[in-house]
Amino acid sequence: MIEAGHFAAFLALALSFLQAGQGLLGQRKAAGLSALIAFGAMAFSFLTLIVAFATSDFSVQLVAANSHTLKPFVYKIAGTWGNHEGSMALWCLVGIGFGAAGARFLSTGRPVFEARALGVQGVLNAGALAYLLLASSPFTRLDPAPLQGAGLNPLLQDPALAAHPPMLYLGYVGYSFVFALAAAGLIEGRIDRVWARTARIWALAAFVPLTLGIALGSYWAYYELGWGGWWFWDPVENASLMPWLLGAALMHSVIVTEKRGSFGVWTSLLAVLAFCFSMLGAFLVRSGVLTSVHAFAIDPLRGSLLLAGLLVFGGAALLLFALRASKLAAGPDWTTASREGALMGNNLVLVVATATVLLGTLFPLIAEATGETISVGEPYFNLTFTPIMSLALISLPVVQAWSWGKADLSSIWKFAAAFAGIVAIFWLAGIGPFDIPLLAGVGLAIAVWLIGGAAFELWRRAKTRQRLPQMPARVWGMTLAHAGLGLFVLGAVLETSGRTHTTIALQEGQSTSVAGWQLTLDDVESIEGPNWYAERASLTARHGGTVASMTPHKRFYPAAQMPTTETAIHKTGLSDLYVALGDGRRNQQGETRWTFEVFLNPLIDLIYLGTIFIALGAGLCVFGRRKHTATEAA
Amino acid sequence: MKAILASLLLIFAAEGPLADPKEEARAQDLMREIRCVACENEPISNSGSDIAADMRERVREMVADGQSNEEIRGWFAERYGDFVLFRPPSRGLGGMLLWASPFIFLIAGGVLAFTISRNRRPRTDIPAVAPEEES
Repeated sequence: MIEAGHFAAFLALALSFLQAGQGLLGQRKAAGLSALIAFGAMAFSFLTLIVAFATSDFSVQLVAANSHTLKPFVYKIAGTWGNHEGSMALWCLVGIGFGAAGARFLSTGRPVFEARALGVQGVLNAGALAYLLLASSPFTRLDPAPLQGAGLNPLLQDPALAAHPPMLYLGYVGYSFVFALAAAGLIEGRIDRVWARTARIWALAAFVPLTLGIALGSYWAYYELGWGGWWFWDPVENASLMPWLLGAALMHSVIVTEKRGSFGVWTSLLAVLAFCFSMLGAFLVRSGVLTSVHAFAIDPLRGSLLLAGLLVFGGAALLLFALRASKLAAGPDWTTASREGALMGNNLVLVVATATVLLGTLFPLIAEATGETISVGEPYFNLTFTPIMSLALISLPVVQAWSWGKADLSSIWKFAAAFAGIVAIFWLAGIGPFDIPLLAGVGLAIAVWLIGGAAFELWRRAKTRQRLPQMPARVWGMTLAHAGLGLFVLGAVLETSGRTHTTIALQEGQSTSVAGWQLTLDDVESIEGPNWYAERASLTARHGGTVASMTPHKRFYPAAQMPTTETAIHKTGLSDLYVALGDGRRNQQGETRWTFEVFLNPLIDLIYLGTIFIALGAGLCVFGRRKHTATEAA
Repeated sequence: MKAILASLLLIFAAEGPLADPKEEARAQDLMREIRCVACENEPISNSGSDIAADMRERVREMVADGQSNEEIRGWFAERYGDFVLFRPPSRGLGGMLLWASPFIFLIAGGVLAFTISRNRRPRTDIPAVAPEEES
């Protein structure tokens, strides 16, 4: 069975080469057909891997190394992509899937352009498949087959993390198709309104799953690592943030190209960079050049092959860009204070923010080369990334009403006064009844400003309540996404400035009070799961009239010889009471005292709600005004 | 009564917070900035290792002792090297480049963007098109 999958993957490689040749020669139909058949072959190939995992076929080396008969069924399936080889196979599947989707849905009225995009996608897919088959083949047999597998990395045995890689890859690899569109547009020397109308849809198709994938990873880190936080500025997290930031810049810049025909050079550069940074992310995560808490499947040789791929594809695209940039047409004139200027400001901030994350992530490596070892972490990003991003967030509600070409600046003082007023309210509240630090006050003001600003812009466009439902999906999408950004900022500021963290130690039967809660340790017992055993503490938490029972455990996975933390979280609606079980220590009297890390995280759900709003809003923006577009195209 | 006594005892037994909430908050902020020397990439506030517990204890002692954040960071850097600080020092060429670059990028990019937009300034009056009018 797995041999058939192996063969199908080779078939997909051959078809990708064919698709590349046909596409670059301008044969739209032939390249599209190759793309569709390649997808069929790769889907079958990936299915054989899933079947091998689902049936625990330990004669397949990958299954023996990463699965176990006692593992719950859903994690056997998810185990397919919970390792290096399988995740690269998923990367290939998604890349070929985007090629096939392009073959099916691209309709720009420019067959040669479409053929070239499919051709470039074929080249990218062939590269990924060659890497899969030659350097990280998941199809190797093992003889004799062991009776039992070594088990999945227990940290990955989790619902959020089962869905995290497919989502993330839909985003990363989705940008490969945007890259292909940009390369095809550059070959033709036409990055214009027709190009942008198509590229925008695909850029959003990558942005939405990337956003959700990052959010899933963050949520997993929150409840699984037992650290109480949701973002740690770890290199692996930064690796996913960089393509996201560039993707956000791209989906704003492409609007200028779509509506005005301007910014073509810049938009195509961003389209190329978004995928380059996705590949850079894969390289950073897989090569082990950086120390990370999340690093897995590390192999220096594979890392250098990924780096070579990045340099070849990225270099070729940038060369093409350099050759064609001067030939691209510009749109109508505009002044600095215009919608064009505002979106340029948005892009400036997002690109500088990306550069900051890149610098902070790679700097320890650079310093190491000069013989110094330093660390760059949260305080650095809080003092650089955060204020720079704040500039864009503060100006957003002001500039989103600006006109193309030339903005009407007559009401700018009203906006300035409104923002200053909101900041003043939070500062006064901070001095008065609440304990809000000054900077947190500014953060909260920005959050309210963003949410209010999004609602205000929707209202400004609708003018009357009757017209609200008739607003185009894109306007609703923009409103939702910008309000979601505000919700995210609100959650992030509240959680960062308002969380409390206490370490307590309790014997069975004892109580203590933490962060306004009375915690009683009822008992600690040993329990067993399908492929783990655990110590489970039962706590009763009381606060006013609320009584909650909480059962944090510490699991141990014997197959992998690895412990994991299973935190207990009680949601009150306003905050999360978060308890992680630590070690049990016996004192001289023979009594065991258990340590617990207790966090009170105010309104942390807003961070995830905001992120979902952003993804939802971006998703809505895919739907244009169909009729209008149709008549305009004709 | 027994329960209260027991929980009182606990404050001394466990790795306890400082009595003054302001000092404890300062200590916790510092703990998030200091890297555990035995772990992959974790601040001592998160790590479960014994050395991290000792380092946390040391931070609390120094905070209670009235030492400034600067002095506490300096003490750890002297003992374990700059590696231990998640807030990298800004001294030397490298440190200055690291801290100043984001703002240099922003200013340089801003000047560049402004110049580009000035050069695109029209010779004739340009019509303003409201975002809701163009699609």
